[in-house]
Amino acid sequence: MKGLPIRSSFQKKLMTAFLLVGVLPLLVCVLLILNVFRFSLQSSSEANAESQLETMTAGLGERLAACGQVLEELEDRTSVARALAQGEGRDTRIYNALYNAAAPLLRDADFSLYDGEGRRLYTTGSGEAVESLDPGWGVLFAAREERTVVCRAVSPYEGTGRGGLRLARAIYYRGQVAGYAVARVGEEHLSRLFEGKYSAGSDVLVVDPRWNQVYASPTLQDEGLSSRLRSRLLEGLALAQAGEGYTYHVLEEGESGFLVILRQSQPMADWVLRLFYLAAGVSLLLCILVCLRASVGFSRQLFQPIWSLNNAMAAVEEGELDVRVEVTGADEISQLSGRFNRMTQRLKENLEDSIRQQQELGEAQIRMMQAQLNPHFLYNTLDTLKWLGKINRVPEVATISADLADILRSSISGGEFVALREEVELLERYVEIQSLRFPGKFVYTARIPEELLDARVPKLMLQPLVENAIIHGFEDGSHGHIEVSARRRGEELELTVRDDGCGMSPESMERFLSRRGPQGGRHFGLYNVDAILRLHYGPDRGLRFQAPEGGKGTCIQVCLPLRGGEEEGL
Amino acid sequence: MKKGRIAAVLAGLLFLTSCQAPDREVAGLAPPEEERLVVYTSHKEEVYGPIVKEFEDRTGLWVEVVTGGTNELLERIAAEGEEPQCDVMFGGGVESLQLYEDCFEPYTGAGAELLKPGLRPEGDRWTPFSSLPVVLIYNPRLVAPGRLRGWADLLDPEWRGKIAFADPAVSGSSYTAAVTMLSCLKGDIWEELARFEGNLDGNILEDSGDVVTAVDTGSCWVGVTLEETALKRLGQGASIAIVYPAEGTSALPDGTALISGARHRDNAVEFLEFVQSEDVQALVVSDFARRSVRTDVADREELPREEEIGVIDYDTHWASGLKEEFLERWETGKGGEGG
Repeated sequence: MKGLPIRSSFQKKLMTAFLLVGVLPLLVCVLLILNVFRFSLQSSSEANAESQLETMTAGLGERLAACGQVLEELEDRTSVARALAQGEGRDTRIYNALYNAAAPLLRDADFSLYDGEGRRLYTTGSGEAVESLDPGWGVLFAAREERTVVCRAVSPYEGTGRGGLRLARAIYYRGQVAGYAVARVGEEHLSRLFEGKYSAGSDVLVVDPRWNQVYASPTLQDEGLSSRLRSRLLEGLALAQAGEGYTYHVLEEGESGFLVILRQSQPMADWVLRLFYLAAGVSLLLCILVCLRASVGFSRQLFQPIWSLNNAMAAVEEGELDVRVEVTGADEISQLSGRFNRMTQRLKENLEDSIRQQQELGEAQIRMMQAQLNPHFLYNTLDTLKWLGKINRVPEVATISADLADILRSSISGGEFVALREEVELLERYVEIQSLRFPGKFVYTARIPEELLDARVPKLMLQPLVENAIIHGFEDGSHGHIEVSARRRGEELELTVRDDGCGMSPESMERFLSRRGPQGGRHFGLYNVDAILRLHYGPDRGLRFQAPEGGKGTCIQVCLPLRGGEEEGL
Repeated sequence: MKKGRIAAVLAGLLFLTSCQAPDREVAGLAPPEEERLVVYTSHKEEVYGPIVKEFEDRTGLWVEVVTGGTNELLERIAAEGEEPQCDVMFGGGVESLQLYEDCFEPYTGAGAELLKPGLRPEGDRWTPFSSLPVVLIYNPRLVAPGRLRGWADLLDPEWRGKIAFADPAVSGSSYTAAVTMLSCLKGDIWEELARFEGNLDGNILEDSGDVVTAVDTGSCWVGVTLEETALKRLGQGASIAIVYPAEGTSALPDGTALISGARHRDNAVEFLEFVQSEDVQALVVSDFARRSVRTDVADREELPREEEIGVIDYDTHWASGLKEEFLERWETGKGGEGG
């Protein structure tokens, strides 16, 4: 379970990366497409609306201008002014003048003449319900005040129940207001004017400069729209309210100040937008799911080997060196696993080596301790032997005993290191004993320079070498010469034990060099010395075999760091 | 560095998504503050509509009309206090306006001298708009002409339970009518009130608009209402006849008041001048079946002149001081009669 946090954190990173790579571009694309789509739709519908609006506004402007012109023409006719001043109705000449002036627009507006009191005397229309207008009010009042053609929305409070607009021009006779020429452009006229000029889904509204309704297209079922738009305007709200689904385009007719409003259904209806968002949401969700699944799958594939490697390492940590990781494939993880396997193999070998070394050292120490067993008893016995030899006049026994006692004393006394002088003396005792055992078998010489006699060397190091020469070098019964020499080489002391005996057998030599241990106790001393030297001075400082001079015998060399007498031990 | 870049991209996206068509139109189309006027009115649309439209046409100003009941609007004005949302209170009887006169800024119009005597308030706290006499009505199918002559007839047990009268606790005009009646009758006012209430026999209408309907439909024979209401319904063909009480009657005006601290004071003043102008007063007479407040605007020819009616001097302060006791006695009387 130790591997889990690592794995999950990797998984998290992987998942984040996947999400980033998978979702972000999708999100960007969706938003871009949506906006481009919306923008293009909007701008095309806007352009469409603007052009329709321009056409309609221009049409309205032309119509109003034409009506104004007719009114001006009527105002210019003295006959008309006189007739109005005299309050005569039903004069065919006046009707002629009225119809003549209005001729081009008879279908587009109703023209009437009112007297000064606001009573209608002549009209081209048939549908006008109001017989008289208040000269102190509304359009007639404005016409009188402004002395030009004025334009007003028909008041909804007139009681006719119809919208539209009126243009009026006061007519003067001898400086007095004689009457008014009035053009009524009713809803029916405006409806004809705008017919076919806007697209089917749209509605048209005409309002006066204060946004009071003048005209609403028949398609516009919404009664109070103009007053609602007006109050939105006054409250500073946008004309188009969210959720209504309409956009509004407004253009002012320059001359009258009336505004034409085109209401369009929103180019991209809300439900389309919602559908789009839904689709985008679903695809995003899908993308996220795929990313999650992929990241889980990838992490499993990628981190399973890492996990098992991690577990194996944990086992190694616990000291279990037999763990091996299964290597599959040739990818980086597999290479890593292979490395790990080899590494643990090496570690195990190293450990085994060091254990063996430890065991060897232990064995040498045990042997040494065994050698020291009860030495005093032996020493005393030897002393007794020496005296018995002297008493019984056997000087050889006395000598051997004395020598042996010396050797024994030296071996049990002091530390592990002695001066070369003592070592040489000990060696001489030993040689003396061996000379008595094998009289005339060998000649021993020692060539030690005086200044090296104080050098410290491991105790009982030379004796086994000389013993080896005596016992094995001349085991064939020959006679020879054993030489022990010392010399200084730089900071090192080089000791050489040379004999001219039969030399070591190649098998023994090979066995020794491969350090497989003594066979049947042969060369046991050599092995011991070698082990001691190695233990003291490092693995390179073992015994060295030199080619003997003259090709006969054995030449064993020991190289030690040269140390002074005052240094005790290592 | 990297995070910053990602944040920039996201911000760009957000900008893209929020990039709606800017509302260019409103800024350009909406009128500037100095071309606006806010009017609270308790008049019906048929009254304020033509006046406001004509005012807009003549001045080019934009009038924002807020409609409601007189008391509701006056309370709202009082509540708005130092920061009035409204510039002009258009409508409301003088008795109501009087209660809120602290909210108004006195203004003397150009035509103040031409106002009929008795209609111009002290200190010009408001401007009278139209004069509204209280009249009696009867159903000519049920009552012979000449039977109903004045206030005293309402105490006649003959009409017991047949008098259409709105609850003065609810209707301001009905309270005015009641006080007018009490002033015109000679006896002790509380005795007269008790007699009148007894004669109503618990038949008290909820709304002043119901009076004409009740008489028209015949569920009541006679009624007390404003001349304007009666004339209007008469014009619509209601089966009623009007009687101006022989003892005289009151003709209280309704008014237009300038709110103190109004944001569009100049425009409000223009509006006050306009509603008092000859043109509008002529309209008041011709279109609204009301009486003008100006001496130079003649009332309808078919109507009796105010001198002929015998308009009494109605003391609004006295009337409002009386109101509490009146309503108390009214409630007691109602309970007594009802039980």
